[in-house]
Amino acid sequence: MRTPLRSAVWLATAVALAACATPPVPPPNLLAPTEEQAALRAMQTRTFDVSDRTQAMRGVIAALQDLGFIIERANEQLGLVTAARFAEPNYNDMVGVTVIARPQGADKMEIRVNAIYDNKPITDANIYQNFFATLERSLFVGRTEAAQ
Amino acid sequence: MPTTTRSSELRASRPLRSSRLAAGAVGLALSIGCAHTPAEAFFQLTPESAQHRAAETRQFETSERNELLSASAAVLQDLGFQVVESVRELGFLRAVKERTAREYTPEIWRGLLLAISSLGFISGQNTLIWMPVDLQQQIDASLVSRPIDAEGARHEVRILFYRVVWKSDGYAGNTYIPPGQQRMESIRDPRIYQLFFAKLSKAVFLEAHKI
Repeated sequence: MRTPLRSAVWLATAVALAACATPPVPPPNLLAPTEEQAALRAMQTRTFDVSDRTQAMRGVIAALQDLGFIIERANEQLGLVTAARFAEPNYNDMVGVTVIARPQGADKMEIRVNAIYDNKPITDANIYQNFFATLERSLFVGRTEAAQ
Repeated sequence: MPTTTRSSELRASRPLRSSRLAAGAVGLALSIGCAHTPAEAFFQLTPESAQHRAAETRQFETSERNELLSASAAVLQDLGFQVVESVRELGFLRAVKERTAREYTPEIWRGLLLAISSLGFISGQNTLIWMPVDLQQQIDASLVSRPIDAEGARHEVRILFYRVVWKSDGYAGNTYIPPGQQRMESIRDPRIYQLFFAKLSKAVFLEAHKI
């Protein structure tokens, strides 16, 4: 009975020492731009033929609402909208979205959307495509058919 | 002597079996609770999207967008909400209220379950179940008002109510269930939305005349 106990103590000590000996060192390129980031940025960004930032933001808000998101914060001056929804039927997870609209020249608007699910960034290009399709519809298709 | 051994063996095996059963039940509950919806499902319009939009949206024949927004804030205040965010340029408001979530029915079930589970004392084990119930809730409202024609003569107001519910503590046998377990849900009862919009249209009408 004693031998396994003793070896367990040794093992625990060794593990503890090993943990002390090698503190986690962040890699030197932690904040350096990577190819994945560039690819993610490309799929998260799209330019629309909209000149008015407020109009673009209203379109973003309407698209997010149509998708069932709750608008949490908005800042008109910065072109920023933050929204979230519950990952139903799992009520512990959240899907979070941050959208920023920035004018590009006189008649274009660049819209970038970052989405996270369960605290991890969404990296699927199809998901962003679907979002932009909904946004396009909300920006350019007449929306007068809403319930009276 | 052999009889004693056998009976003590039996006694030892019984809690083991029940703990295995309990572990299985917990595993099953967890696997149901953690049903993981794929992320793409949240970025696509569903057949319910249009229904939800219709229930959450009303249009108003007014060009007074500031009046519409301040009337919306006033109605939310009448309903007991505190406005916590507002962006006038985008016609955005967010409001919050906290209320108790205790109801009679879960309390009755809790009492019944306690009475039934107390029968386990006959076998000499602590089988008492004191079920956690909904204790406190925070109801949130997120509202956006926006013009729907080029002249800005008509406005659309869309509001979404949702809530976060916190559970009380409880016991399952000797295991303590800590309080604070939470769940979040959108409120889909159309009567809540009808009530809000009835109050809002009344407020807009009164305030339109006030100017």
